[in-house]
Amino acid sequence: MISEGKIAEKSMDMIEININKDVLVVGAGFAGLDSAAKIAAQGYKVVFACKDAELPDSGDEFKKFVESGMVEIMTNTSLDDFSGVTGDFRATLAKGNERIKKNFGAVVAAPKYSFEPLNADYGVSLNGKVISQTRMEEILADPEEKEKLKAGDGAVFAFFNGLARELDPCSTERALRSILALQDIENCTAYMYAGNVKVASRGVERLFTEARNKGLVCFKPQEIPVVEQNDDYVKIIIQDPVIRKDIELDPDYLVIDELMNPGQENIETAVNLRIDADLDGFLPSNNVHRFPVNSNRDGIFVAYSPNDAANVALRVKELLGDGIKKVPMDRGVVDEKRCTICLTCYRCCPHGAIFWDNGAAVISTVACQGCGICASECPMDAIQIGTFSDDDLNENIDKAVVSAENDSPKILAFCCKNSAFEAAGAAEKFGIAMPAGFKMIKVPCAGKVDVELVMRALVDGADGVMVAACHEGNCKAEKGNIYAKWRVNEISRRLEAMGMDKNKVIFTNIASNMAHEFADKVNDFALKLKS
Amino acid sequence: MIVAERKPFDEIKGMVAGYKKVLTIGCGTCVAVCLAGGSKEVETLNAELKLNFGRDKIEFGSKTLERQCDMEFLEELDEIAGDYDAFVSMACGAGIQFLAERFPDKPVFPAVDTSFIGVNLDVGWYEEKCRACGSCVLGLTGGICPVTMCAKSLFNGPCGGTNNGSCEINKDQPCAWFKIYERLAAQGRLDQIKEISPPNDWRNQIPRKIIQPGYEERVKALG
Ligand code: SF4
Ligand code: SF4
Ligand code: SF4
Ligand code: SF4
Repeated sequence: MISEGKIAEKSMDMIEININKDVLVVGAGFAGLDSAAKIAAQGYKVVFACKDAELPDSGDEFKKFVESGMVEIMTNTSLDDFSGVTGDFRATLAKGNERIKKNFGAVVAAPKYSFEPLNADYGVSLNGKVISQTRMEEILADPEEKEKLKAGDGAVFAFFNGLARELDPCSTERALRSILALQDIENCTAYMYAGNVKVASRGVERLFTEARNKGLVCFKPQEIPVVEQNDDYVKIIIQDPVIRKDIELDPDYLVIDELMNPGQENIETAVNLRIDADLDGFLPSNNVHRFPVNSNRDGIFVAYSPNDAANVALRVKELLGDGIKKVPMDRGVVDEKRCTICLTCYRCCPHGAIFWDNGAAVISTVACQGCGICASECPMDAIQIGTFSDDDLNENIDKAVVSAENDSPKILAFCCKNSAFEAAGAAEKFGIAMPAGFKMIKVPCAGKVDVELVMRALVDGADGVMVAACHEGNCKAEKGNIYAKWRVNEISRRLEAMGMDKNKVIFTNIASNMAHEFADKVNDFALKLKS
Repeated sequence: MIVAERKPFDEIKGMVAGYKKVLTIGCGTCVAVCLAGGSKEVETLNAELKLNFGRDKIEFGSKTLERQCDMEFLEELDEIAGDYDAFVSMACGAGIQFLAERFPDKPVFPAVDTSFIGVNLDVGWYEEKCRACGSCVLGLTGGICPVTMCAKSLFNGPCGGTNNGSCEINKDQPCAWFKIYERLAAQGRLDQIKEISPPNDWRNQIPRKIIQPGYEERVKALG
C-alpha cells in the first residue's frame, strides 16, 4: 500500500568542490580562545577577532599557535559585514576605521554573556560581605586577595545557588569551581544553599562529588533563607524540616548566584551571521538533529561552554577536511528565467543557503539541506528540489489518488521522510490496518508541501489530505513543520470560504517511532471523513 | 512595487460562472513579489475554481507573463487567446486594463484588489509608502511622505491635531509631520520645514501620462 504512492528517490549526482579551509573565531566568550587553539591544532589557520582591547589570559597552547602564525589575533575588531555560505564565507572585519576583507570556510561564534547577580531574589544587597559570583571569581583570580583569605581563622563562604528560581548547570559549575578553589586554600570552608543542584552538563557531577568529598556542606532549604546583613556582618537562617529548628550560619562571605543574560553581543552575532537563537536568546537555537555546537547554518558554530571548544574543533574538521567537499549537484535549483528575485526564498531558507546574484536567486549546493521550504514558498514556482521536483510530486499525487480504492474515503498523506514516513513504514511492517483508500507521498520535509500540491490532490479527487510533520522543535529544517502547519491552516480557510468542509485537510505531528499513533490518526481521519 | 491582495473567492467565482473556458493570467513582477498574483497563486486559484465548479463544467487554463503592463509580453497570449472565452487577471489594475485593451472583445475579470504602492517589510508583509501624488516633496520632508502618512495628506504641516507624536485620528498612528520634524532636526536641516510647498492640484484628474525626457522624440515619432 505504501510502496505505490511513494516516490522512487532518484540517485543524485555528486560533484566535488573546493572549500576555503581558514576559520574565523569571533567573540572573546569563555570558549573563544580555547576553540581557536583546538582548531589550529587540527591544522587549520584561525583568525581570532574580538571587540575587547586585550585578551583574557590564554593558555600556553594558544600562545604557541599565535607564535607559529596558525592563529592571528585581531583585538578591537568587530564583524562589520558577513555574507557567503559554508566553505566560502566572506567577512569584513572592522578595526577602527580600517575594513579588512577575509574569506573563511567556517566560522565559530563565541559571544560574551553578561551576568546579573540575583541578590534581589533574596532581598539582600551586595556589599563587602555579600558578593556576586563574578566578584568571587575576581577574588580567586587575584593572588593578593587570595592570600588575605588565609589570614586569622581563615574564611567561611556560603554560596546561594538556584534558591529562588531554576538556574542551569553552568551556574552550578561556576559555584563548584569556586568552592573547589577555596577548598584548596588553607583555612577556608564552603557551604552551599541550593535548590536543585543542576549537574546535567559534562563533568559537573564529578565536580560536585569532589567538593563534597573535600568537605562541602550542602543545604536544600524548603524556603528561601532569611538573611540578616549589615556592613560587617551577614547571617543566614534556615529551618531544618527534620529537627524543626533554625540553623544559623554567619559566614565571612555570602556568594550570590548569577543569571546569565544573552546580552547585546549575542544579538549582534545572531543578526550578523544570520543564525537563530533559542527561546531565551542564547545561541545557537536548539535542534535535536544537530550537534549542540552547530547552528542552523552549515559552517557556523557556536562555542559557549568550555566543553564546546573540543566539540567545535571536531565539527570544523569534519566540515573542512582536506578542503574538498562532495555535494549533490542539484539539491535545490533556481530557474533563473522564472525567478523574479522577490527574496521570499532568501528570507525563508532556514539554513541561510540562498543568496542572489545577477538578477536571480542562487542556492548554494553546499549549504542547502534539501528541505524544500523555499520551493514551496516561491511565488513563481522557480525552484525545484533534486529528487522531489514538482513534476515528480504531481505525477505521484495523480497516480496515488487514481489508484486509491474507491469504497473508503481516499486519503492522501504527505509524509515527512524523517518522521511520518518512517512511522507509516513501521505501521505497515507491524501489519496495522489502514483504510483501504490510504496512500502516501514521501516528502523531504513537511516544508516541501505547498498549497498547490494539496489543492492538486483535492482536485484529483482525494477526499482528505493529511500533512504529517515532525513535532514542533524537532524539525530537521528548523521550521519546515511550522510552514506546513501555516499552509494547511490557510488551505482550510480557503476551503471554508468556498463553502467546503475545512476539515478535509489536516495537519499532524508524528515522530518516527509512533507507528500506532500514526495509524490511529489516519483511521480517525477516515472515520471523520465518512461521517 | 505595487501591492495587491487576492480577492475573496466568492467574488471571483461569481465573475466566471457563466463561461466555458477561462484563462487565469498571472503577472511575474510586482504582484508575484507580494505573493498575490504570480504563477503559484494562478495555480492555486485555478485549483480552487476547479474544486468549486467540478472538473468538467468550466475549463481553466493558466499562464503567467513577465509583466502585464507591457504589450510585448501580452503578445504572448495572442496565439492562445482564441481558445478561451474569458480572462481572469491576477495583475494590478494597470496590467488588467492593458490586457483588456489588447483583447477588447474578451471579458477580463480581476482576481486581485490592487491596494497600494509600498515596500516589502518581510515575507507577506507590506506597507504603503507613496500615493503617486505627482509632485514629490520627499526632499523637503526628510524622506517621509506626508501624503501617505498624514491622515489629511497635508503638504505643509503639522496641523493643530498633532498630539505628542501621535495623529489626532488615533493614538497608535504616528503624526507624519512629527516624524518629519524629528528626521529634519536630526539632520540639522529643520529650517526646511518652514518652506511652503504649493498645494497639489487634485482637481479634474485625468489619467496622467509621463514621457521620460530622453524619449520625447521617440514617442512623437510613434504618433
Ligand atoms: S522565491 Fe522564487 S522568485 Fe522569489 S527570489 Fe526565490 S526563486 Fe526567485
Ligand atoms: S531546500 Fe531548504 S535548505 Fe535548500 S535552499 Fe531551499 S529552503 Fe534552503
Ligand atoms: S502589470 Fe502591474 S503588477 Fe504586473 S508588473 Fe505591471 S505594474 Fe507590476
Ligand atoms: S510626496 Fe508622497 S505621494 Fe507624492 S510622490 Fe512623493 S512619496 Fe509619493
